[in-house]
Amino acid sequence: MNKLRTLFHPIFVFVGVQVAWIGLMVIWVYWYFKNNLKLEEFAEKLRPEIFDSEFTWVILLEGSFLMLIILAGVYVIFVYWNKQARLNRLQSNFVSSVSHELKSPLASIQLYLETMKYQKVSSRDAGDFVETMLTDTARLSGLIDNILESSKADPKAMRLQFQPVEIGEFLKEVVEAYKRQFEERNCRLQLDLDGAGVLKVDKRALRMVFNNLIGNALRYSPVGAPLTIEVRNRKKYCDIHFIDQGIGIEKKDQKKVFKKFYRAQNVDTQNIEGAGLGLFISREILKNHKGRLTVESGGRGKGTRFTVSLPR
Amino acid sequence: MRKKKKILVVEDEAHLAKGLKFNLEREGYDIVVVDNGQRALDALAKDNFDLVILDLMLPKLGGLEVARQIRAGDIRFPILMLSAKSTDKDREIGLEAGADDYLTKPFHLPELLLRVKGILRRWEWYRQPVLDHEKFHFDSMWIDFSTGQARGQSGEFYLTTKEAQVMKLLVGKKGAVVSREELLEKVWGYDPDTETRTVDNFVARLRKYFEKKPQKPEFIVTVREKGYQFIAKDSA
Repeated sequence: MNKLRTLFHPIFVFVGVQVAWIGLMVIWVYWYFKNNLKLEEFAEKLRPEIFDSEFTWVILLEGSFLMLIILAGVYVIFVYWNKQARLNRLQSNFVSSVSHELKSPLASIQLYLETMKYQKVSSRDAGDFVETMLTDTARLSGLIDNILESSKADPKAMRLQFQPVEIGEFLKEVVEAYKRQFEERNCRLQLDLDGAGVLKVDKRALRMVFNNLIGNALRYSPVGAPLTIEVRNRKKYCDIHFIDQGIGIEKKDQKKVFKKFYRAQNVDTQNIEGAGLGLFISREILKNHKGRLTVESGGRGKGTRFTVSLPR
Repeated sequence: MRKKKKILVVEDEAHLAKGLKFNLEREGYDIVVVDNGQRALDALAKDNFDLVILDLMLPKLGGLEVARQIRAGDIRFPILMLSAKSTDKDREIGLEAGADDYLTKPFHLPELLLRVKGILRRWEWYRQPVLDHEKFHFDSMWIDFSTGQARGQSGEFYLTTKEAQVMKLLVGKKGAVVSREELLEKVWGYDPDTETRTVDNFVARLRKYFEKKPQKPEFIVTVREKGYQFIAKDSA
């Protein structure tokens, strides 16, 4: 079955069709020169008036031209077919990873609700469970925001509402929402807001960027690994660095991680959930702020530094 | 006083792990939580557990690999897989890797607790010795219920957990008829997805191992409309 599938792989089919057409072309030219000319000589003897000397070349050229058009047509069909197949594959990967990522917080919320329904729970535990569920709903909401934002036909046409924001205060506010997760993962956060000032940004969109970067740092770092967030001014830009000591990103993946749906495939990431949208959306948001999102990493196991650069 | 049953929960989602620990402790179990596959294997090597609740998507070493490694060392150890992967194929892969039961996320708490109870009950039953010794001999063949190793018509091999459990039930009641329903209840715990035909498939497999002519069985015979009967003299 697998052998059969390999045989019908688009590339093999394409090469097969090309070879078949080239073969046909050769047969056509061969036939023309060998038989058709003889036939014409014979016909010319019988009815010389139907032939003129130009005519024979026109037929050869017409035939060749027709075959070239068919060849080009097959090529165009192949290119689109391949594109469609790639999109189908990406979409099915995306659906499977998104549904998987939605299920984890959902399972947690259901577990705590059913715990409160079926077990006797003290008011202290109940309060703790509600807090946990709220963190899970925030995670679900963040994921849904990412999906909605990425599904917009043209991310460049994002409607942003710019307003002056004190970036240090805003970062503190975003980080505060992660307090519980930092505790759970035993992650020490170092916030260095020396260069923070007022920037003109869209608060909702920038919150998504920060959430994606902090979320990634937590997800791709072992328990107990620290996270540093630094704000530094550089000429006309304000740089916000998110420095983790997680699994790192290999050189070959550093450009690709910003592509829609792309997820680095290796031993360290194979069991980590993700939809491959967060960094793509974050980069688009920053482009719309006339800013940049860049990544630096020493490679596997050497941590990662994401830098958000916003114009001052 | 009866010792508390000890369960290892392998779950990297901190919230789920905490919720599972809370509920299972309320049911009277002793719970140890680890957040990756390697730590799970370390914990299992160090301590005695009665059950492992295993997530599939785990950092470092995935749940499937953990299950395979557990099975390589002990074919009987009970594993309950808990995963967000919910297709029939995922379930099949999980069960093939050695899970005794497979529950998809999100799950219902009462169902999880019942399944844990069911697995532990079956485990308890399986651990009781059939005979004075765990190795059962018949004809020129034998089955070692403690390791799952057996000698059949074509040499030595290992039975799967379920195959060993079916044989244990038949051998334990040798001479008497064991109904398909009893086999289902004891070995599969009446999983709603299991059909009585499953039992027939397992028996057909066991006949291939132990019978000279599987079409004309001498040891594992069918009693029409009743079930199966194991007929053999001990030769130990």
